[in-house]
Amino acid sequence: MAYYILKRIGYMLLTFFIVITLTFLSMKLLPGTPFKQQNRLTPEQLNQLMHYYGLDQPVPVQYVRYLWNFIHGDLGGSFQYGMQPVTDFLWQRFPVSLQLGIEAMIVGTIFGILFGVIAGMYRSTTLDWGTMAFSVVGFSIPSFIFAAILQYVFGVQLRLFPVAGWNDPWNHVLPVISLAIGVTAEVARFMRTEMVEVLSQDYIVTAEAKGLASSAIVMKHGIRNALIPIVTVLGPLTAAVVTGSLVIENIFTIPGIGTQFVESVVTNDYPMIMATTEVYAGLYIVTIFIVDILYGVIDPRIRVSGGGK
Amino acid sequence: MADIKVTGDLFVPSDIDHTLSEKIARKSTSVWKDAMRRFVQNKGAMVSMVIIAIIVVMAMIGSVLSPYDIDDQDLTRSNLPPKISTLSWIPLFDGKENGVDTYQQRGITKDFWFGTDSFGRDLWTRTWQGTRISLIIALVATLVDVFIGVVYGGISGYFGGAVDTVMQRILEIIAGIPNLVWIILLILVMKPGLLAITIAILATSWLTMARIVRGQVLKLKDQEFVLASRTLGSSGGRIIVRHLLPNSLGMIIVNTMFSIPTAIFFEALLSFIGLGIRQPEASLGSLINAGYEILQIHPYQTLYPGLVISLLLICFNIMGDGLRDAFDPKLRR
Repeated sequence: MAYYILKRIGYMLLTFFIVITLTFLSMKLLPGTPFKQQNRLTPEQLNQLMHYYGLDQPVPVQYVRYLWNFIHGDLGGSFQYGMQPVTDFLWQRFPVSLQLGIEAMIVGTIFGILFGVIAGMYRSTTLDWGTMAFSVVGFSIPSFIFAAILQYVFGVQLRLFPVAGWNDPWNHVLPVISLAIGVTAEVARFMRTEMVEVLSQDYIVTAEAKGLASSAIVMKHGIRNALIPIVTVLGPLTAAVVTGSLVIENIFTIPGIGTQFVESVVTNDYPMIMATTEVYAGLYIVTIFIVDILYGVIDPRIRVSGGGK
Repeated sequence: MADIKVTGDLFVPSDIDHTLSEKIARKSTSVWKDAMRRFVQNKGAMVSMVIIAIIVVMAMIGSVLSPYDIDDQDLTRSNLPPKISTLSWIPLFDGKENGVDTYQQRGITKDFWFGTDSFGRDLWTRTWQGTRISLIIALVATLVDVFIGVVYGGISGYFGGAVDTVMQRILEIIAGIPNLVWIILLILVMKPGLLAITIAILATSWLTMARIVRGQVLKLKDQEFVLASRTLGSSGGRIIVRHLLPNSLGMIIVNTMFSIPTAIFFEALLSFIGLGIRQPEASLGSLINAGYEILQIHPYQTLYPGLVISLLLICFNIMGDGLRDAFDPKLRR
């Protein structure tokens, strides 16, 4: 197990290093300078600015310096906000995005398991068809369309929930639902398949034969065993939630990493783009790592064969 | 019940015709025919296929049906709600918004079936043109993704050993980078546009295909029929093309079916955050984005592109599920 974890950590660091390098390189390939009113600047002024921020040095030098600063926790200053350290913004905004993501994952997983168990138990009934129809729709339609619909219906028309902001708990309702629908759908699909599989096992027949109440069978044997493989979908789902939250944050004007990212793309704020990209990548890589380790703990066969998925 | 005495002479030994046991009662079905039969029986998948076909046809001919071009701007007819004179008894097509007949008010006699946007451009034309762009991006990205995935996965799986290890490590590292980051970086470096979006989507979607093909090839290459072919002197290339690929084709088709909606989704996402198709061109994503900005005043402008993209995504997913069940009935539960 220790070897397995070490190996995964090695991969994690390597992947992250590659992400940093890629981000750096693509920023170097970007057209235009990051200075806002560049048209009004004389060439001398522009050169001075480029020199001041070290942008006139050869790319390898800039790269090494970037890595060096990165290791020391310095991601540079935001071009857009008068060189205020990028990390200041990240510390302020990351918790918001994290909270949104975690809330959506928790809500989605709980409802997904619930729907999946119900569909699996009452297989081939209207209940099952209904749940699966919901699941296909929820799985197919992008979260930003749900967000637009929810915002229009519950925010604008019915005025039940606020349409923007984050400070009040009521603000969380619509964005979290928009993000959670996809998670619910995916988990429900998976959970139903697992339930059907588990309920056809011999030990369920045994439990029935010894006269266990059907509720006890489902609770003690069914759900418990069906839950294990759910861990595997959590990784891809996190990626989906991260992707979705980028847009959801912009729709509901939530002060998270996503809004920051879109803003920095529009304003050519290189250090900010790099930092937000790295945060997204880091978040994803760490989640995949945790999921892999969790799965290795639950199912020892994974460790022996070595592969994650 | 009558009392029947069961005696031995009631029973006669039956004739056993040993030639019959070898008789094949029905024509043998190929895997393909079998899969097709199961697929055709799947009602959901068939309905989805019809809906997709209709949308594809409309994407091809829809914009011709309307006299307006994609970029015909005319501010005198801006923000008109949908109106179809013959269907005006349906509230959605009566040309009224909040009870006011905008057409009458402005003295416009022509019909705009899906309404117009804030520049007075016909949304019917734009919606179907946008659908066309979205479908083209999805199709091109998917086709190239199948090609790269099959080649990469095929080589990796067939040669195995060190080649496989190296290729899988590379794949693992690329897969470790979230799609979104990959796509956005690529879009930023290239100029946003049709090609950039297609390449960016492609850059992430071939990974799944490569994994699936490798898995299939690994599973198949040690089976007896491959050994037989090899014994008869087949070259590696022939084995891959004649034996390994045709047997993996089912899985490849199924995965392709799931790649298309993913591509449509990412195109819409990128256009929605402003990194996609630029004006005056339209895609489903950019139309939803444009409509979303005035959703609170003119909700109909988001309705149709939103409806088309939702239908496309749902139908492709149902069809993909149907194909998967058809090719591998064991998976159906």
